Amino acid sequence: MTEWTILWEARETFINGLIGTLVLFVLSTLCAFVLGCLAVYRLEAGDRFSWVIRTLINLMRTLPFLILAYLLYYGLPQLGVRMDAWTAGFISLIIYHAAYFAEILRGSRLVMPAGLVEAALAHGFTPGRLFWRIILPQLVIKTRPLLGNQLIIALKDTAFLTIITVQELTAAANSAQSTYFIPTQAFVLVIILYWLISICLELALKWAGRFGAKRGFDYV
Amino acid sequence: MNGQAWLLLLEGAWTTLWLCGIAISIGVVLGLGVALVRMAKIPFVDQILVLYISLARATPLVTFVLFLFLSAPMFGINMNRNTAAIVAMTLNTAAFNAEIWRAAFLSFSRDQREAALACGMTGGVFFRRIMLPQMITSSLPGLVNEMSFLIKGSPAIAVIGIVDLTRVTNRISAVTYEPLPPILCAALLYMLIISVLLKLQAMAEKKANRLAM
Amino acid sequence: MSDSNAALAVSIKRMSKSFGDIEVLRDIDLEVKKGEVVSVLGSSGSGKSTMLRCINWLEVPDRGSIHIAGERIGVNEAAGRKMNNKELATLRAKTGMVFQGFNLWPHLTVIQNVMEAPIYVKGMAKDQARAIAEQLLEKVGMSERKDAYPFTLSGGQKQRVAIARALAMSPEVILFDEPTSALDPERVGEVLQVMKNLSSEGYTMIVVTHEMEFARAVSDQVVFLEKGLIIEKSAPDKFFSNPETERVRKFLELSN
Repeated sequence: MTEWTILWEARETFINGLIGTLVLFVLSTLCAFVLGCLAVYRLEAGDRFSWVIRTLINLMRTLPFLILAYLLYYGLPQLGVRMDAWTAGFISLIIYHAAYFAEILRGSRLVMPAGLVEAALAHGFTPGRLFWRIILPQLVIKTRPLLGNQLIIALKDTAFLTIITVQELTAAANSAQSTYFIPTQAFVLVIILYWLISICLELALKWAGRFGAKRGFDYV
Repeated sequence: MNGQAWLLLLEGAWTTLWLCGIAISIGVVLGLGVALVRMAKIPFVDQILVLYISLARATPLVTFVLFLFLSAPMFGINMNRNTAAIVAMTLNTAAFNAEIWRAAFLSFSRDQREAALACGMTGGVFFRRIMLPQMITSSLPGLVNEMSFLIKGSPAIAVIGIVDLTRVTNRISAVTYEPLPPILCAALLYMLIISVLLKLQAMAEKKANRLAM
Repeated sequence: MSDSNAALAVSIKRMSKSFGDIEVLRDIDLEVKKGEVVSVLGSSGSGKSTMLRCINWLEVPDRGSIHIAGERIGVNEAAGRKMNNKELATLRAKTGMVFQGFNLWPHLTVIQNVMEAPIYVKGMAKDQARAIAEQLLEKVGMSERKDAYPFTLSGGQKQRVAIARALAMSPEVILFDEPTSALDPERVGEVLQVMKNLSSEGYTMIVVTHEMEFARAVSDQVVFLEKGLIIEKSAPDKFFSNPETERVRKFLELSN
């Protein structure tokens, strides 16, 4: 049992790691979601810049998250752009998951009936209003399960940042285990923490689902 | 990027591919096994499998790989890096695959089963000849999708010191002091590998849709 | 097993079946001689389909006995126990079934659908199964589409393939469960024509149907079910021109 009590001794490490992971996760997914929505809005235009966005989205879909973080943290200094591990981690999380959020919303946008858009246009909506008031809310409600999945993937991707030396939860476990030689206990603890966070996320999503169910949306 | 660097890069790509390849092959079959056992709804065993799937889906691969590699010796199990990586990736991907197989299992039409029974097929023949081939077709898009997810997650194994396609870029830049080219080239290789999988997924989807018509 | 049983393709004695509290079949008695065509009529919910599905044990009756070509289905009388799945399969192989929804196997081509059971149930050699399948597809007019996948076929074509699939096992009796109900009206004729041909070739058939014309022209016996009870069982001429019960008279009036 002493090994488990060591966990208590090292509680500060774990708490800091947990806070690190939560801050990374919450801030980056919020920004990524907004950026993803903006990207989908920009795609509505269908011009050359839209094509650039599409290409970027498709590019992200074929890359591992860590290689993007590597590019920002290890690669860019060669061009004189230096940032600390946290900034690199944040930016790569935001860019990467914005692309995935955008792809999810775009997929749902493609199958949205044209009549809904026409009805709004007939009522004199401007394209901007049309997108933010009519189109986007429906896309978000309809793709809730997929967006939720992506949130859990984003949560797990924060753990990659331990490799570029960000002090988050997995890094905390790693440093605690090397200080106190308790790898099993340290990692069991953080795995349970990740698990609890994702269970909370799932419950929150289920709760959010009632919002859509009240409006008669069917889920994919 | 000289020839030597490219050679190292390709070696890294090969490491990523063979480790993932083994994990995928075992993971697909293990996932089917888990799904089948879950369909049998054996008390206790079922709860254990639900817990396994839930945990495996919520645990980052980085964390899991570290956990396996560092704590196995505590239980007197000696795992080298590659084994730890394969076991971690297999257990991870099998959990996702189990859910894909299960969905195919649950959505299978009762009518076809009746047609098979009426012809005098036994349950075993029905499963092998009628159900499994269709489950494979309808699960394939999801399974291939999961394969590309595993490859995108595979840089996690770098954390225990395996020189995969991501980590090899550190090795190269340690010599050349130019980190950008190897990272970009590694990204290109990942793009190639995953594009092929996405293409396969699209083909599999087309075939699966035909089956559903 | 009596000798009289052996001359019968199907013999049902005092068969009853309930779903929960609802009694869907009550004391059904029916004998079908080899080569006979029996049409089963009745309004929807009368238990016709359940009766048919009990014959090959897709539904398990609560009471009564069913013999197929003299052999009891569902109960291993020699061992005094329920049949296991393997024994059940062996006996089911002696019946063919054609479903309302066709139930072709979508991952197999037309000819593979027909060959599948002969090969994997009877253990027939592939060449032989193929030869038989080709012959049967010819019979139902589908040999030109033998390499097509089911999703490319019309409903009528699918049903003709399903009939060939049932024939491939050379069954003692073919059970038709409303074979034309899911078809577009203009496709009904082609399937009925195939069935007529089969009857003249001497196949034993039990047909649950709403097609009065067919029942009148082809059947040897017409059976009418009402609330799980056989309330009339007679030759088609008598059934259609001079029914015994008021219920059947009304049914015939309404369906004309």
